[in-house]
Amino acid sequence: MDPSIILAAADVETAAAYAETAGRAMGLGLGTGLAALGTGIGLGFIFGKTIEAVSRQPELKSEIQSIQWLGFALTEATVFYGFIAGLIAFFV
Amino acid sequence: MSRLNRRYALFAWFTVAASFLFVPSAASAATEFSPEGEFALPPFISIEIFGIDMSINKAVVYIFIAAIVTTLVVTMIARTMRVRPESRTQTTVEIAYSLMKDNITDGNLDPKMAARWFPFIGTLFLFIWFSNMIGYIPLPFNTEHTMTILGLELPTFALYAATANIAMPLTLALMVTVAYHFEGIRAKGLVKYVRGWVPSGVEGFMVGPILLIEVLSHIVRIISLSVRLYANILAGHLLLLFMGGGLVVLLGMGLIGSTILGLATGALAVVFFLFEIGLVATLQAFIFCTLTAIYLDGAVAEEH
Repeated sequence: MDPSIILAAADVETAAAYAETAGRAMGLGLGTGLAALGTGIGLGFIFGKTIEAVSRQPELKSEIQSIQWLGFALTEATVFYGFIAGLIAFFV
Repeated sequence: MSRLNRRYALFAWFTVAASFLFVPSAASAATEFSPEGEFALPPFISIEIFGIDMSINKAVVYIFIAAIVTTLVVTMIARTMRVRPESRTQTTVEIAYSLMKDNITDGNLDPKMAARWFPFIGTLFLFIWFSNMIGYIPLPFNTEHTMTILGLELPTFALYAATANIAMPLTLALMVTVAYHFEGIRAKGLVKYVRGWVPSGVEGFMVGPILLIEVLSHIVRIISLSVRLYANILAGHLLLLFMGGGLVVLLGMGLIGSTILGLATGALAVVFFLFEIGLVATLQAFIFCTLTAIYLDGAVAEEH
């Protein structure tokens, strides 16, 4: 590790600038990561339930699948709300 | 043009675009690759009307291309229609038409509304689909990095999509919002339409808060509809950017490390590229139009 970072961190203003950058980066990373966590659970539910439904009623497969893609797109979008909020935190 | 020729044409285009990677870096005005400039929108032609920036930039050019391609392709196919499909193009278009007509419009709207709004929803679908798909073809509009060939300074090939910019999805979402409110007011009248937002059975002092929540939900619809499309395409392009070289440049791990990482992420970039053109581009156009149809139906439905 470069020791000059520690020396620079001793300077209050530089430390504050570092902290702000770090906070922004953490906001983006944590926001998107946590959103991905929830979206992952949701997508697992949708595909799991689809498999369940198709194995119960294979004759409804095409109908169930078209609803499945609707649910997939609606659920998948939630990770992007977190991502966009993270981008706003990072850049604005 | 036969199907084989067309496939070769697309292949040749990608080869041409990729061959510019081997233009010596001395010919390139930018000596280093800066991935953060990929989404910058420098104006090509500066236009300012009443203090509003209306410049023609990369995103605007992409919207023009999408509009022209949509119009030309669909008109051309419509002119060469046969009763018995002879070409695969017509079969594909028929599948797309049946998706727009049967699945999206008729599946969500009653027959009268479906007949009235099918042109709007079909146009939306095709325009968004073409905008998304054009975004995955490398086009020479990247003025951030230029290259000099035979003394001419030319923009490099890059991926960019009109839908990866919030402006276009937001405009479309606002159009949809105006359309379904207009349809609701026309069907029921202003007072009955707004009263219809509150579920039947809610009475007395609870009407106010519920109405407030419903108004908020209509505003959130605009945000969710536009951000869903925008963020999906933007995230896809960011992923391709990082996998296709951005990560290697940002990490800077020396020659051997960069080579190993580059090969691994390059392979992943191809996988993500196929995922994007195979699923995301079509699915996002589909979801946008399905939600449009659902909102239109919700506005004219008798019971909330």
